[in-house]
Amino acid sequence: MEYGYYPGCSLTGSAHKLDKGIRKVFAKQGHTLREIPDWNCCGAFEYGDRKELAGFSKKNLEKARGHFTEIVAPCPACYKNLKEADEEREFAVTHPLDLFDEAFFTAMKQARDLKGQVFTPYYGCILLRPKETAIRNTNVMEETITRFGGEVSGEAVKDRCCGGNQIFINKDVTEKLSRLVLERSRGTIVVFCPLCHMAMKTFSGERKVVYYTDLLLHIMGEGGAL
Amino acid sequence: MQKTEYALELTDYRRQDFSVCLGCKICASVCTVNDVSSGTNPQEMLQRLFMGKDVAADEPLVRFCTGCYRCTGACPWEIRIPDVVRALRHVHATESPFEKAFKGSVALFGRVYEPYVLMKAVPFLLTGGYMKHMTRWMEYMGFHLPHKVKRT
Ligand code: SF4
Ligand code: SF4
Ligand code: SF4
Ligand code: SF4
Repeated sequence: MEYGYYPGCSLTGSAHKLDKGIRKVFAKQGHTLREIPDWNCCGAFEYGDRKELAGFSKKNLEKARGHFTEIVAPCPACYKNLKEADEEREFAVTHPLDLFDEAFFTAMKQARDLKGQVFTPYYGCILLRPKETAIRNTNVMEETITRFGGEVSGEAVKDRCCGGNQIFINKDVTEKLSRLVLERSRGTIVVFCPLCHMAMKTFSGERKVVYYTDLLLHIMGEGGAL
Repeated sequence: MQKTEYALELTDYRRQDFSVCLGCKICASVCTVNDVSSGTNPQEMLQRLFMGKDVAADEPLVRFCTGCYRCTGACPWEIRIPDVVRALRHVHATESPFEKAFKGSVALFGRVYEPYVLMKAVPFLLTGGYMKHMTRWMEYMGFHLPHKVKRT
């Protein structure tokens, strides 16, 4: 299957590991990702004018038109902006987490077991809220961890906000909120959002923070310990 | 007052849309801002907007809202309070130097080019106590050329 791919800015920069991970996982499952030609930034949450913000993503959809109708966007903010801008539902804007379903795991080649290791699947906000743009399976990370022999922690904080988008505005807010998540969970933190990743990394101390794609690739036999 | 009217024009809401608010304060009971500043109540902000009153830039909700949509998820009307907050920030022009740099990069390159944003925000990062996090960030950040430069 071929998908249109919207990496977004952070995946071309600080979240390059998530970009590589997604590409690898998709390639291993026999899917092709083709970038939207000359895509532009989606504006994240930086624009107070709804029309201006939607304009960025509408431009991206225009660039995708005629090339593909299925679009995958890993960054939760990009995904939400793209999906909201597609008012007529002309495209199928999908978050990768929604593609990791039963068929995916059945086809997946398992090389490693998680051996009872403890993980905190941390979704943050935008993957789960608002409802219209939320992912379908809101337990997919937990299911992955238990399916392959790991232990799940931090159920009560999986949807709490880490305050990531305040990190360059009021850093203390981010620190307080991230610590709340860290204190109420154990083990390696598994994230999908690049901004959650940054917030968690900044304040996690000795705790490990990995992308969900790192976890998948680890199970598939790639990379070192998590 | 005028600023507030203008802020609403930037959202999908009109003043009278907030008349549906039940005053149930469920939004307040879940609002993330309460973890950093207690007594925060988004319902009160909506009520003030509904009455045509001003909402100041230094309100904790306007300053600290993280855009988590917990309020929207819990509200019976799914009112998108963070969208309103963002519009208020816009009319009050409360952008941090980092946000200015972000928008500057989007205007210049069409994308956020992180080294540019960091460079532009250096004085802010220095005085804001960010340097102590740099080594941590360097563990996973990589520097790269803007896509427009790379391509030619
Ligand atoms: S949300 Fe972040 S990653 Fe996505 S396009 Fe915008 S700036 Fe770039
Ligand atoms: S960075 Fe914060 S706002 Fe964004 S998804 Fe993560 S928890 Fe939510
Ligand atoms: S989006 Fe803003 S107002 Fe709503 S719950 Fe989160 S912090 Fe509070
Ligand atoms: S949850 Fe909704 S209806 Fe209830 S007080 Fe808040 S904004 Fe009003």
